[in-house]
Amino acid sequence: MANDFSEPVAKIVENYLMRLKQHLRGLPEKDQQELIKEIHSHIYESFREDSTENEVDRILKVLDKLGEPADVISSRMSPAMVQMGKKKKLPLYILAGVAIALFGVPLGLSGISILLALFITILALLASYYLIAGSLLVCGWIGMIVSILVLINPSLLDGLGPYVQFPSLSSDLTLNAILSLVVSAILSIVGIVLLWLGKYAIRGIKFLFNLTLEKIRGFRKRRRPQVQYA
Amino acid sequence: MENKITQLRKGILELAVLGSLHHGSHYGYSLIRTISGESELDITEGTIYPILSRLLKEELIKAEWVESNQGPPRKYYSLTPKGERAYEILSAEFSKLAATVAHAGKKPEKSSSEEEKKVLEVKKEAKDGE
Repeated sequence: MANDFSEPVAKIVENYLMRLKQHLRGLPEKDQQELIKEIHSHIYESFREDSTENEVDRILKVLDKLGEPADVISSRMSPAMVQMGKKKKLPLYILAGVAIALFGVPLGLSGISILLALFITILALLASYYLIAGSLLVCGWIGMIVSILVLINPSLLDGLGPYVQFPSLSSDLTLNAILSLVVSAILSIVGIVLLWLGKYAIRGIKFLFNLTLEKIRGFRKRRRPQVQYA
Repeated sequence: MENKITQLRKGILELAVLGSLHHGSHYGYSLIRTISGESELDITEGTIYPILSRLLKEELIKAEWVESNQGPPRKYYSLTPKGERAYEILSAEFSKLAATVAHAGKKPEKSSSEEEKKVLEVKKEAKDGE
């Protein structure tokens, strides 16, 4: 990326861009690449125009003028908002909406406790969600394995008595096993999809968590005496 | 106070960006150079990028990557028709506001009505009371 510069300068630039990239998590990959490319171009142009003799001094001056990665991304959005990026997933949106609604009003302790309660509820919901997703996945897998075994050896489960029953979806044993295989496969796919969707839920939780922390910090700050402007 | 100045600058910066692009397309760094003129810009240069991305999202400006004959490609920005209109409206509004602010900062020459005098007196008292 930073190969237009000499060795030590390139290292510094690379480090800066890396820190920038860390701030961009949550944004679509394409947007990340684009901003990195643009900032790289900025650094190059700024570096080329500056007349400072020592290259290391020059790059440090350039980066100092450019500002911290957080400045480049936004000076107005809160870090939690930046983290959330541009992904507009519906459940996330609702969560964010609730949080912001609480927050638009000057937030007191009651707001914080509501946020915390909300947060705990969501955590509980999330836990049960993962439990369901996980058990679907495991059941699906077990079902698939058993079905395949039965396909190979139809009399496998015969000796196991009434506790291990193979579901009879069809009178034909082979067809029955194939059907169970399909059902199991669907179950495990649903499980996988649920798990995959879960990452959005996690992102929403993270967002709420950051927001809550920020608000608590902001609340404590607000109670300290303010510095008056002359 | 420093904080207040920064805030004021940032608000105006958006209009300055539209104004510079009104005269021709720019990439981020050249835009900063144009806005700050010969002097070094006091605000952090990076703050221009969130402004650009917001204007992009509002479709007031458009962007295009152009190969540079020296170094990496540059992302050029220019005004969209919607942006041109927005600039005209905003700059007219800004001139009006600037005139108002300049006027408000001046000492009133003559207070025409009794009521106005009273208001001034009350203000004075409040000031003396501090």
